[in-house]
Amino acid sequence: MTNLHIRWGGVCIVAIVLIVLTYDHYRDNLASLAPQQVRQEAPKGDIRVLGMVQGGTLETRGAGEATFALLGEHASLPVHYEGPPPDNLRELKILVLIGTWNVGAQVFEARDIGIVPNYGFIAGAYLLGLLPLALLLFAMTRRVHFLYDEIKASKLYEEE
Amino acid sequence: MTIHRVIRKVQRFEGWFGGSAVLCLIAGLYLGLIGSPPDYYQGEVVRIMYIHVPLAHTALLAYIVLTIGSLWYLWKRDPIVDNMCQAVAGLSAVFTALALGTGMIWGKPTWDTWWTWDARLTSFTVLLLILIGYLMLRTFVDDPEKEARYGAILAIVGFVDLPIIHFSVEWWRTLHQPQSISMRGVSISSGLLVPLLFMSVGMSLLFSYMLMVRTQLLYLDRLLHAKKGRLLSQFHLSKSDS
Amino acid sequence: MGKKRVGMIVSILLVGGALGYLALGNFGENVVYFFTPSEVKAFSTDYYRKKVRVGGMVVEGSMETYPDRLGLTFQLTDGEATIPVTFEGIPPDLFKEGQGAVVEGYWTGEQRFESNLIMAKHSEDYMPIELKRAGVELPRKDFMKSLVE
Repeated sequence: MTNLHIRWGGVCIVAIVLIVLTYDHYRDNLASLAPQQVRQEAPKGDIRVLGMVQGGTLETRGAGEATFALLGEHASLPVHYEGPPPDNLRELKILVLIGTWNVGAQVFEARDIGIVPNYGFIAGAYLLGLLPLALLLFAMTRRVHFLYDEIKASKLYEEE
Repeated sequence: MTIHRVIRKVQRFEGWFGGSAVLCLIAGLYLGLIGSPPDYYQGEVVRIMYIHVPLAHTALLAYIVLTIGSLWYLWKRDPIVDNMCQAVAGLSAVFTALALGTGMIWGKPTWDTWWTWDARLTSFTVLLLILIGYLMLRTFVDDPEKEARYGAILAIVGFVDLPIIHFSVEWWRTLHQPQSISMRGVSISSGLLVPLLFMSVGMSLLFSYMLMVRTQLLYLDRLLHAKKGRLLSQFHLSKSDS
Repeated sequence: MGKKRVGMIVSILLVGGALGYLALGNFGENVVYFFTPSEVKAFSTDYYRKKVRVGGMVVEGSMETYPDRLGLTFQLTDGEATIPVTFEGIPPDLFKEGQGAVVEGYWTGEQRFESNLIMAKHSEDYMPIELKRAGVELPRKDFMKSLVE
């Protein structure tokens, strides 16, 4: 184990800790149900549903209330939204709704709008940005050590 | 002062750059990925800014260093300055390519396109081509002195692209948004600005550290080749003598 | 030796070509990356059926979707002129009324822009939703001003 390996081991540990912390932070936002799953399984309690606001169905009432149909691939759900002002809500928008499925009324009662699960782009950008730099730096540091040792060992360099 | 001692000195002090780069980047990554709020309009994807913008500005910083180094080389003709130029050009190319790559990944979820030929994206691609041309030129010229001189001239000529990149978003209509931090003020609220600053400082420090390592690498490489070459020619000479 | 010479010439051509492209070549066209609605309205018939980009602000309350298929119509403005735009498909996630957009497509003789690509243009200000709701305005270059010039 050289100094170099200890240092890079430390960097790897920090990287793993950061990845675990980040994953843990967003874990709850990753999973969502499709509209047809909600219709078939009628899950109880808080759920997250991913779909698109169907064209021609959005009606807003006041700042924080709206009704629309959430369209999935095979089914759609009538939605009644009541919550914080839905700033970015519009027709043909793909979004995640957080709320409960009212089996009796067959209405999804949404109380918040989640963010589209596009975390893949974020993870991709960070990996693309940092991984090549880390690999390049590691390779360069190793090469410098190697060259240094070789110059010393082969007595090519005389101490002046 | 011998080069040997210069390198010793750089080695003693490069650790500070490497260490503080890692600390800044850890703070920036934690704040950028976990500790900062999503943007009101872009949502979570705004976090790509914290990696894309520092990479892009470091690429430009690297090119400025290359230009200064090239001028310095033409003035003093110091070979180690040339090693530094060669090192910084390689790094600048890497940072430019990564800035373009992360920009493409940011463009897809926001603009809804990976690529478009607007003035900012085009002028940044031109920078990458200039750097690739520079690095190719250096591998194809045999005489080390000519290689360094041609390279320096090319790098200085290529500098015209920098103001074009910077002002492209002001001079022309582009899809790319204008600068957020400029003379007009800062149009990023503090919660989103702090991670960006940490990442920017961290990336600049990381670049400085990488530059020191790479300059040393190229210098040692040349030293080894020169020594080996001299030893070899001495060997041939002694053989022909006997 | 010959190979090296070719390589050297190629590298110089690469840089020279890149800079030349920047100075005169195609970059001239890319400088006018998009037209404004005013310019589009003044188009001569030569421009009909020619693929162009138009940038502007999506007029508040102008977006209409179809109940039976994916697609929408909206108005695009630069503050002076307004043109109607049609689009088939799902608009980008950040497409929104009152925000900038660049559309690619054709200006037809019926004074309507048929677009096949919408790109959402976001501004350079970034802030959390709480601040936005509180009505905080960050200093920025006005998008419309940058359009009209």
